[in-house]
Amino acid sequence: MAKKRVALELGMGTALQSQDYTKAAIRAVEDALWHNSLTMADAFGFPKEAMLIDVDVAVQRPDQVDVAKVAAVFPYGQATVRAVHGGLDIPKPLKDGQSAPTQTIVANAAVAVSFDMEPANGAPADKKPAPEGGAS
Amino acid sequence: MSRIILEMGTGNDLYGQDYTKAARRAVQDALHHSSLILFRSLGYDHAEMEVNVTIAVQQPDQVDAGLVAADLPRGKAKVTVVKGGLDVHDEDNGTVSVIATAAVEACLDIDPNDWVLS
Repeated sequence: MAKKRVALELGMGTALQSQDYTKAAIRAVEDALWHNSLTMADAFGFPKEAMLIDVDVAVQRPDQVDVAKVAAVFPYGQATVRAVHGGLDIPKPLKDGQSAPTQTIVANAAVAVSFDMEPANGAPADKKPAPEGGAS
Repeated sequence: MSRIILEMGTGNDLYGQDYTKAARRAVQDALHHSSLILFRSLGYDHAEMEVNVTIAVQQPDQVDAGLVAADLPRGKAKVTVVKGGLDVHDEDNGTVSVIATAAVEACLDIDPNDWVLS
């Protein structure tokens, strides 16, 4: 096993009215995904289905996130979704007669893309990239 | 050279009608929704990366492509400016807001024969 992380995509999503943490999380993941078009699988000659996708969505109430619905956003690859505490809830101004404010919800998403990959045995030594480190 | 990612972003200049400022903001938006971790995890040198930037605004001749290229933190950047984006005219108040779109393509010399799935 040589899980190599190749890219990270970042996004933000909101739920303005519904107080739906899953909806905000899905929008954050979509914002992360649809700002980018990853063509690394093609560059390495791997099928897109081999992508390993680790998703962190951060909201103030992570227990309210339906992680299966968030995972269903991904068109391909093997997605694992984790909901953690973070994001931001902003209380709305109180209306007349209202005792407790409702919240505007902000979710943050980080989508890490990896492949379980290793240098090919037949690769010429001078062309084989260093397994770790290198220039960064 | 294989393209490894296309990053897309938008930027605007609401009051100054500065197409270069809008373009630079679009590039920042495009860049900061992703991170190319493979340079660290696989040992490629990001100085070898070619970065092709396309900026789209309604008045391409108003964009200082050199300033836009200087914003790219890594790799060999090439900036092309084309007609596109969007100008929003507020006739009542006599203002124009300019919107720029940026496409940032990162390309790297990857030999697929050098790597296999585990």
